[in-house]
Amino acid sequence: MKAHLVPRPLGYLIMLLMVAMYLYPLLYLFNVSLKPDTEFALDPVGWVRHIQFANYAAAWQQGSFGTYIWNSLLYTAAAVAGSVLISAMAAFPVSRGYVRWSGLVYIFFMMGIFLPNNMIPQWNLIHALGLYNTRTGFILVNMGVGLGFMLMTGYMKSIPRELDEAASMDGCTYSRFVLTLMLPLIKPVLATSAILQAIGVWNNIIGANIYFSDQRLFPVVMGLYKFYGQFGNQWTLLAAALVIVASPLIVLYLFLQRYIIEGAMTGAVKS
Amino acid sequence: MYTFGRKWRKLAPYGFLLPALLIYLLFAFGPSMFTIVYSFTDISGVSGVGWHWIGLDNYQELFHSARTPVYVASAKRTVVFSLSVTLLQTAIGLLLAIVINSKLRGHLFYRSLVFMPVVLGVTVFGLIWTLMFNPMDGPMQKLWGLFGSSSTFLGSYTMAFPIVIFVQIWGAMGYTTVIFLAGLQTIPGELYEAGYMDGARSWSSFIHITWPMLAPTVTVNVLLAIIGSLQTFDIVFVLTGGHFNTSILGYEVYRSAFGGNAGNLRQGFASSVAVLQFGIVLVAAVIAQFYLRRREVQI
Repeated sequence: MKAHLVPRPLGYLIMLLMVAMYLYPLLYLFNVSLKPDTEFALDPVGWVRHIQFANYAAAWQQGSFGTYIWNSLLYTAAAVAGSVLISAMAAFPVSRGYVRWSGLVYIFFMMGIFLPNNMIPQWNLIHALGLYNTRTGFILVNMGVGLGFMLMTGYMKSIPRELDEAASMDGCTYSRFVLTLMLPLIKPVLATSAILQAIGVWNNIIGANIYFSDQRLFPVVMGLYKFYGQFGNQWTLLAAALVIVASPLIVLYLFLQRYIIEGAMTGAVKS
Repeated sequence: MYTFGRKWRKLAPYGFLLPALLIYLLFAFGPSMFTIVYSFTDISGVSGVGWHWIGLDNYQELFHSARTPVYVASAKRTVVFSLSVTLLQTAIGLLLAIVINSKLRGHLFYRSLVFMPVVLGVTVFGLIWTLMFNPMDGPMQKLWGLFGSSSTFLGSYTMAFPIVIFVQIWGAMGYTTVIFLAGLQTIPGELYEAGYMDGARSWSSFIHITWPMLAPTVTVNVLLAIIGSLQTFDIVFVLTGGHFNTSILGYEVYRSAFGGNAGNLRQGFASSVAVLQFGIVLVAAVIAQFYLRRREVQI
């Protein structure tokens, strides 16, 4: 017989409250996105009576999502691929102590979490390199080495060193070992880092604001601001646009939630 | 022991470390250091306009000028924001984690749901909440109506800031909860059984088993929350654009450096605000670290 810290009925009550607070806003979002404008104006809260998808078509058009979605996919894919690869390459020697002062190198990378906000000099650097208003510039500033590196270093420590020794005995070179043996072994943590990084890049609204003035290069989050702000809010279109922007992440989440959540969990405990 | 060969072959790991080190130095660490350098200049951020060393003038404006009260208010708000977020997020996150960990029916669903906003990202969930707080008969207005009250919410000087705090906590709660869940799962079940034998029921087993065993996880969560909440400002950007007394230091940095038209950009001054913010982060992190570690040791 095990004692429950929280009595069951109370537990269910707390979960009921939590579900209401987390599910309702999402349901409400879908609800509004399906409403005709006139219906929303009369009754913003009630269930939709005349379901229609016109908001999605209109939001897609007005928010230029046809262009922005591809931009976002490109920025996210490139920045994530780049940062996961370089983080993994760096995490291995650091976790094994194959480079001098590995401990210091680790701390050096982790210091980034504390250090002063770097966006102003970073912005000037991108300008000086002639990369303002370019895809390359935005991808570079989104290629962070931080959380992923930390998760990977922790995970790699759990892979036995004997593997390195055995492989090298068989004549495997260092680079082949890392790229063909190590990377497949750490797939779960690669997935976790990739997703956490992707969420950050996909949603980087501040970066998009300061690094682009050319509308053709905007990522998808910038499309949201067509419906919000300056000229009053077009709520039904905003709701549809939010669903459009969020859906790739939601789909990713539905399929990979085990990786995402458990990756975040192991990372936190190991470090 | 490195077993992949001798002499030049020993350099391979350094080669693999290099790209990450370069990117980090060039785009993260270097710019962070330069923020401190910038804070002694009058760099505007407009191309073609020259700049000068101006010593401590930016800091003088920050701490000793007619504008000082504005920045002090913003700094205070930053601390209030961070304290409320840290305390509430840690407390509620722990409660949710304990309940989810007790394997109620549907516990995996609860876990996924509370983590959802982390996946959606701050822009999306921030705007979802502006929809919820739509003052024209939105859902929260209806809720307020039940209590015979009404508000302009994000357009109200008294309500906007608490809403910003609320939405920030709502959005980041999933991460805290999941980290606590990981911590809870490292506590061996036998401890609770032994405690039960000794007569420990819910509250006392929480105080004598869960809380002490969870000390390292609490440290991680509190530190992450403090540092994160002192630095973040996306939520302010999305919800209020810094209006209605919601501007925190991070947002002030953004506003002075990038927020206006070309005529009033002041990146040098913005950098001094960033340095002040860094100072607060440093002090808070050191104090928190000191207390949390001491608590871990005592236990």
